[in-house]
Amino acid sequence: MITLQAALTGALIGGLYALMAAGMSVTWGVLRVINLAHFGLILLGAYLTYQLATSWGLDPILTLVVTVPALFVLGGALQWAYDRLRIVEFNSLLVSFGLLIITIQLASDVWSADFRRIAPADNPYATGSLDLGRIAVPTATLVAFVAAVLLVGGGHLLLHRTFTGRGMRAFAQDRTVAAAFGIDHRRLGVLLGGAAGASAAVAGMIFALGNSITPSTPYDWFGTVFAVVILGGIGNLLGTLVAGIGIGVLSGLVSVIWSPSTEPFVLFLAIILALLLRPRGLFARAGVA
Amino acid sequence: MSARRGVAVLVAVTIVLGVLGRASNAIGLPAYDVLLAGTILFWMTQATSWNLLSGFAGYFSFGQGAYIAVGAYTTAVYFGRHGGNVFLAIPIGGLLGGILAAAVGALAFRLRSLRGEIFALLTLAVPFILAAYARITNWVDGGQGTTIRLPRVPAWMGNFQQMLFLLNLLLAALAVGVALVIYHSRLGHGLAAIHDAEGPAEVLGVPTFRYKMVAIVLSGVLGGLSGAVFALQIGFVAVDSVFTLTLPLTAIVISVLGGRRHWLGPVIGALLIVTLQDRLSAGGLENWSAIILGGLLAVLVVIAPDGLFGRLRARWWLALAVLVVVTAGMTASGYYDQLDALLYGMLAAVVVATIVDRLRPRRSVPAAAPPAAAAPVEAPAVVPGPRSGGTLVACADVTRYFGGVKALEDVSFTVGDGEIVGLVGPNGSGKTTMVNLLSGAMQPTRGRIEIGGRPIAGLPAHRVAHAGVARTYQIPKPFASMTVRDNVAMAVMFGRDSAPLRPAREAAERHLATVRLGHLADALPDALNLHQRQLLEMARAIAADPTVLLLDEALAGLNPAEIDDAVAVIRRIHSTGISIIIVEHLLRVLNQLATRIVVLDRGTLIADGDPAAALADPAVVRAYLGRQRA
Repeated sequence: MITLQAALTGALIGGLYALMAAGMSVTWGVLRVINLAHFGLILLGAYLTYQLATSWGLDPILTLVVTVPALFVLGGALQWAYDRLRIVEFNSLLVSFGLLIITIQLASDVWSADFRRIAPADNPYATGSLDLGRIAVPTATLVAFVAAVLLVGGGHLLLHRTFTGRGMRAFAQDRTVAAAFGIDHRRLGVLLGGAAGASAAVAGMIFALGNSITPSTPYDWFGTVFAVVILGGIGNLLGTLVAGIGIGVLSGLVSVIWSPSTEPFVLFLAIILALLLRPRGLFARAGVA
Repeated sequence: MSARRGVAVLVAVTIVLGVLGRASNAIGLPAYDVLLAGTILFWMTQATSWNLLSGFAGYFSFGQGAYIAVGAYTTAVYFGRHGGNVFLAIPIGGLLGGILAAAVGALAFRLRSLRGEIFALLTLAVPFILAAYARITNWVDGGQGTTIRLPRVPAWMGNFQQMLFLLNLLLAALAVGVALVIYHSRLGHGLAAIHDAEGPAEVLGVPTFRYKMVAIVLSGVLGGLSGAVFALQIGFVAVDSVFTLTLPLTAIVISVLGGRRHWLGPVIGALLIVTLQDRLSAGGLENWSAIILGGLLAVLVVIAPDGLFGRLRARWWLALAVLVVVTAGMTASGYYDQLDALLYGMLAAVVVATIVDRLRPRRSVPAAAPPAAAAPVEAPAVVPGPRSGGTLVACADVTRYFGGVKALEDVSFTVGDGEIVGLVGPNGSGKTTMVNLLSGAMQPTRGRIEIGGRPIAGLPAHRVAHAGVARTYQIPKPFASMTVRDNVAMAVMFGRDSAPLRPAREAAERHLATVRLGHLADALPDALNLHQRQLLEMARAIAADPTVLLLDEALAGLNPAEIDDAVAVIRRIHSTGISIIIVEHLLRVLNQLATRIVVLDRGTLIADGDPAAALADPAVVRAYLGRQRA
């Protein structure tokens, strides 16, 4: 029963990983921008949620009304700048690494290096849980999972069912031809960057619901989120969701079967193995290179 | 600067610095300056170590911290916890760093489809794994950290600070010396070719896997050695202090700022960045240090991706003059601390060099002369090469599947010495797959390929190249950072009769003349048009001294005049004794050029013979034009 509980909790937490990875995966796949600054946006989202909930007493979920538009603008502006300066691929990895360092330092100047957590009084989701027989699911985790599935799944549908989404996928496959058919890559890029920023706002809010935040938290996300992006297949949102949940289950199980302290070790080893065996992602179709 | 002179200068500088450091008390150098110099030297070592693989070969690593940590924990465990000899801990740290690097390289570089980004992310994960391992393993760390007590300092090394300085100096000299020697060596040129275009480098005979392994292991050894000294410097080794991302970030910023393609880049970068960081913290602005480093990285990648080294070298006298004038002037004014003055001097030199470079770009490479003005000189008469008349290429039942797709199925044919064989077929018939199999870039699923009577199964592409096969790419893939001449010289250097750079450059002139590209020898590949690039591909291929040349759609996209020109070049190459397999869609051209034609359709061979006969074959006509016309 404990194992089942751990697997379930892991799966639910995996939803958050998937949500964090989704924004990164899409900009990487479609715009060829490997945006490490995305972690900075998630961190900002988390701190903003904390700040709004603490000083205005807003319901943490309602803070999205502020954070989503703010990070949409920020993400879009970032993408606009990458595009103007023609920063893609490797250079984007370096530039955004620099930006991430700056964000982390600024966050620690503003909110100090201490752990911050939304006070239980301001956080109605902190303690409640949903009981399913002998398994209990904390509300915060459940909210995280539902939001992740809705957003990532919705993103997948948008990319595959709408005209704009098709434009983006066409653009990912061949920019020149897509441009010749009248796809305005600037506008699409800014829109997509903005959407990634908005997803970062939600991910940050969800993280702040159940965890303490410190400026160096993004480093803890690095390995897992990248693993989810790559295992899911770069640019493949459905794959990202599955990979996120899978990794969540794995880390939940490891921490119960062995011990919580071995979790990162086993997790990263699994990630490296997966990278080596399936560098194009777990769900890549076998076939011509 | 030749390698020998460089090493001599390096040794001289090291001795002078060593004497100065050891005698710092006697001549009244502030202890603080010795400490700062030691830090600069530490970062010089780390950035140079990073640069060997990530700069020279272009495989970007975020894992430099792993080597530092392995070295630091060696000192912590062996010296700090068990009281071992500190001077033994340092070489052990180097050894372990090398072993870690070899493991990472052996795993990562075996992947055929390894992309640069994936490598970078892999190296990002390595320190996380080690950190997690250190945290849960009690004999390494167990989460408590280890205090490093002061070691006993041998009398000849002076005090502890001086010992640290001397150790860092020794390692920096070692690292820079290694980088300098590699830069001028065959290995260095091979790494540069890997950086620019790895696939072609391997096909031209560069043993890419071995070279990358050598680079990563050297990088790990140097990083580990210097990491072991780092532990003495920080005095307390804990997971959070040696696994921070600031360590790899600093190494990367130093190299990117200094210049990644030259051994001096990290040296210049370390001087500037470490002094800057030191002055920031002396001014109470530690918090700004990370922001400035991050900002520098972001800005530099955009405005000066190739680093400062090239700009400073182009006008080194100007930079030096500005540095001396500003530093001396500010020191003399008496208002500024000496180190501040030095920092401002360096910054001024960098700014002046960058601005002058913007206003009056370097004339490093003459622009490609306009084709009309510089009519290509007539090629020298070719010496007909020997013909043995034997079989050069023999394919027996060659089959290649991609997953469920059958790209080639039981294809058998031979190519005799002196032939020009046209390989034709509709799109998707398996022609390029055949070229990839013949050049060793892919292995057949089944079947046997022999070159000159030797089976090539399982051989890496560079060994196949040495067996006498050269190829061109449909989309030319030149080494972008090298001149046209050096592009060809690489093929001579790494070809069947390996040669040093200088004779290779002379031989390159000859091959460029054969394809009538001699007038563009000093241009960079970017300045060439498509036709010229394809000629460059051919020159590079014949420079490897092949017996068989594979031309993959070498005429695609050319206008009629260029096609005539290219055909003339191909005939000339053929008359030097090289047999040719040419993949081409223009049957009119093949009709005149080829001595035999092999036709593929949907992975199977449907005709093989005299051009006119093969092209008239009903099966061939059906494959090309559909059933009705046949």
